[in-house]
Parts: sequence; structure tokens; C-alpha cells
Amino acid sequence: MNALHRMTGRALLRWLPALAGLLILIFMFEIVQAPVIEAVGGAEGLSAIMERIPPALRAFARTRPEFMAMTSIAGYLSLGFIHPLYLILATSASIGFAARTLAGEMDRGTIQIALSRPVSRGSVYLSRVIGVAVISLLVALAGPAGMLAGWAAVRPSGEIPVAHFMPLAVNTFALCWAAGGIALLGAAWAAQAGRVLGWGLAIFILMYFVDYFASIWAMLRPFQPLSLFNWFDPGAILVTGAWPWLDIAVLLIVGFVATLGGYVVFRDRDLP
Amino acid sequence: MTASSASLAIATSGLTKRYRTNTALDGVSLAVPAGSIYGFLGPNGAGKTTTIRILLGFIRATSGQATIFGHDAWSDGVSARRDVGYLVGPDALYPDMTGAALLDHAAGLSGASPVLRTLLLDALELGPEALRRRLSTYSKGMRQKVALISAMQHDPALLILDEPSDGLDPLIQRNFEEVLRASNRRGNTVFMSSHDLPEVERVCEQVAIVRGGKLLAEESIADLARIHRRQATVLFNGPVPERLGGAPGIRVLSTSGPRAELEIDGEIGPLLTLLAGLDVADLLLPPPRLEDIFMGFYGSEPRA
Repeated sequence: MNALHRMTGRALLRWLPALAGLLILIFMFEIVQAPVIEAVGGAEGLSAIMERIPPALRAFARTRPEFMAMTSIAGYLSLGFIHPLYLILATSASIGFAARTLAGEMDRGTIQIALSRPVSRGSVYLSRVIGVAVISLLVALAGPAGMLAGWAAVRPSGEIPVAHFMPLAVNTFALCWAAGGIALLGAAWAAQAGRVLGWGLAIFILMYFVDYFASIWAMLRPFQPLSLFNWFDPGAILVTGAWPWLDIAVLLIVGFVATLGGYVVFRDRDLP
Repeated sequence: MTASSASLAIATSGLTKRYRTNTALDGVSLAVPAGSIYGFLGPNGAGKTTTIRILLGFIRATSGQATIFGHDAWSDGVSARRDVGYLVGPDALYPDMTGAALLDHAAGLSGASPVLRTLLLDALELGPEALRRRLSTYSKGMRQKVALISAMQHDPALLILDEPSDGLDPLIQRNFEEVLRASNRRGNTVFMSSHDLPEVERVCEQVAIVRGGKLLAEESIADLARIHRRQATVLFNGPVPERLGGAPGIRVLSTSGPRAELEIDGEIGPLLTLLAGLDVADLLLPPPRLEDIFMGFYGSEPRA
């Protein structure tokens, strides 16, 4: 267990500067949402803007004017969590960690420091899984924390549903966990950090656009459940406060299955 | 684990590793006695590193078996590596770590106290100031020293060293050889691959020679010296006799006046018998060098 702690700590420590940067960016991205809402005239101002946006671009925001009108401030706040920049920042944290600390260490040979000692591949892999879980948790908390901080600073008109941020954080954690699990599977397979990062981000961008186009193009709807983003609906969560158990369960299971697959690949593969 | 396998630090049997179109290792069987210093020789691509990587569980053998102290290197790898020190390549160290942090990290992963660290730091002349610096600021030789200390600091029962003196200056190399001998005197086993044949000759008791993934020989250095090719110089009281070149196992490399340079394959008995009937003024028979033996193997076909 001591070795597991050491390896987890070491992996997280190496990733700390990049992780800190990503968390700050997520925090800053969400902190500006409340001031932006205030600056454009609150809910009414944003609703007017939405009316003028073409349907395809509304789909990009995955919302509709009538939804915005009904949901008021919670609906507007949810835009901060479905923005592509937020999603890229959130998922790239766990993808980057998996790529650098598993594939990258195989590629550079540094993983031999642990694997030449009485340490199992399972322990090495588990340390990376724990790292992905910790990072997913931090990312899931950074967004709501930033938004609440921005809200506290500006205090725009309307009520903020603080309790609704809890299911949102859990759903975000599940999304990052699923992304991290898939990245761990890729990292165990590819053993080259650059390749895992490139393919990982490409796949997640593709998933985003499948989810996006499926809402305006019926032919793509059958494929929508294949996208992780189909199982992440901050708008509904922030408006209703309901726990999206199915979404959370699907993402957690995808992450778990991918992580398990990554373990089997890593356990049986030759190191480069 | 059987009693016989436990008395061997390393045992491989029919070890084979195939990649798609390439056979890196072809049926290699080794027996490294516990408590020995064992050299593993061969040119680049001979299969040395592949063997070491199989022993450490980095790669899986296509067929055959490898054990360390009786534990299978792949299926029981954690037990096999319980008391092993392995020299990782100098480029496989975390560049953002300080030397001291890397040694602490390695000791923690080994689960054993770094009892030899101070001694090794002195022997390899790595000072406390250097240990406080990040490894990215180290020269290759300094990284090699840190890697050596990391492998040896917990005084493991088996040291597996791939090119250990690479990057070390000659003085430090001698200190390092003394450290290896001291480790061996404490009962530890050293298994080392090296291109530095004089170093192997100075340190090792037994060697295995591989080529093209096949084992050519596994013998003590003394036996190799006795039975393999060596050179001799004979000075006659007169011209070199013609019948000298006709003797089996003896080849005349050159002659100059009364002087003949000879190459002898195997035992020197036939040469001495031949010279007994000739008018010899002097005979120079230097001890055979491992390098000559090694080169002799590379002029022959691999043994099946």
C-alpha cells in the first residue's frame, strides 16, 4: 500500500502544474458567467439575444428560447457548463493525466523505476486510476465553485439554486471519470502520450459534435447515446435540481468498463 | 519452487521471444548460480536486453521460462523482483526530480532500507550538492551514477545491470567494480551485460555469450580461456620450421626471421608437444583475453 501511495502521489505531483492551470481556467471561465449575465441585462437580455440566434447555433448551445424563458437564471447559468470550452477543459484534465502518466511513462521508460521493483502492474495502474478519480473530482468542483464565486461577487437579480450544483458536480465527475477511463484504455494500448492525447481529444470533439448535430439532424439521433455528452445535461439539472441517476450511472459504468479494459491491456502487454 | 531452482539466482529454459518478423531470442537456457558474478555478452541486437526485459517482467516470452530465485518472472513477477536491483537507463529517470528525491522514491518502492546509499555516494563520488539538483541538470554520467545507486542502495540479493559502466570515467569505474565485488562477497549475485570486455574479465567469474538471439557459450572465464583461441609468439634458434603450420589447431599468423606468431584453438598441449621436438629459444604465451575469445565466437556459427 505504501508503494501505491507513493506512485499516486508522484503521478499527481508531476501533473500538478498542468492540473492547477486547468482548474484555474475552469474556475475563471465559470466565475465570469454571472458578470456576463449581469452585463447583458440579466435573463431578459439573454432571452432577447437567444431569439435572434439561428436554430443551428441554438443547438450548439443545446437550448431553446422558450426553455430560457421558462427556466430563468438557472437555465442561463447552465450555459456555462455546456460550452465547448468548458467541456474541453474539463475532459482534457483527465485525458492528459492518463496520457502523460501511463502512456508517457511507458514511452520514456520511467515506468521501469516502479516495475523493476516488487510492485505489480495492477498497483501501477491503480495509482493512475486513483489519479483520474481525484482529478475528476477536482474538475467537478472547480466549475460550480467558480460560478458561485462569480455570483457572490456580482449578485445579479434572481435566485441561484445552490443545492442544484451538487447533482451537477456529480454528473460532471461521472463525465470526467468516463473520459479518463477511455483515456486510460487508450494509454494502456498506445504507450505514446502524444498519440493518446491527440486521439483522445479528437474522439471527444467528435462525440461533442455527434451530440450537437443529433439535436438538429434526425439521421444522427440513433448515434446520440454513443456520445458521452448525451449523458450530461446541466440545463435540466440546474433548473429542476433532479438527480440524473441514469446519466450518472451510464457514465460511471462506461468509465469503469474502460478502466477495467485498460487494466487487462496494461497487465498483458509488452512494455515498449 | 524446487531446491535446485532456488540455488540458482536466474534460470531460463528455452527462452524465446518472437516479434512479427523477427526472432529476438531463440531458445536461450541460462543457469546463473546464486552468489556468482555473471557476465552476459554479445553485440548489439544479440538478445541481451531482451533477456533482461523478460527477467524483469517488462515483456513476456513467446515460449520457454525464466525464473528468479525460483519464481516465474512473468506470472510471479512481484515475488521474483522482491530482492532485485535493476539498473534503469539513465534516460529513464524523472528529469523533474532531484537526485535525492529519486533515490528516496526508489527506496520506497523497493520496500527496503537504503543501507548502502552513503557508501555508494562516496564510491561513485556523487556529492550532496548534486543530489539537491534536478536530474535534468545532470550529465549522462551523473544520471548513470544515480541509477546505479538507486539499483544497489538496498543491497539486493540479485543485481541486474545492463551496461553498468556506460558513461563512468575509468577511476569511478574501478570504484564501482570494487563495490560489485564487495556485494558479491556478502553473498549477492551480479548479472551484468557489458560491451566492456576487459571490465567483464576483471569482475566476472562466469559468462554467457549470445549472438543472433542464440546462446553460443556459457562457461567460467577460466574454462573459456583454457579451451578457446589464444595467441602465442615462438622464437627459434634459426628459421621457423615449415612443419609448424601443419599441426592441428595451430595456425601461423605471421613469420619474421626466427619469430613466428601463432594462433591456437583450444588446449595448448599439442603446441607444447610440437615445440618439444624443435629448437625453441623462447615462448611467449600471454593469458588469453576475453576479447580474443569473444571474437573467436563471432567467427563461428551459432550453436543450436
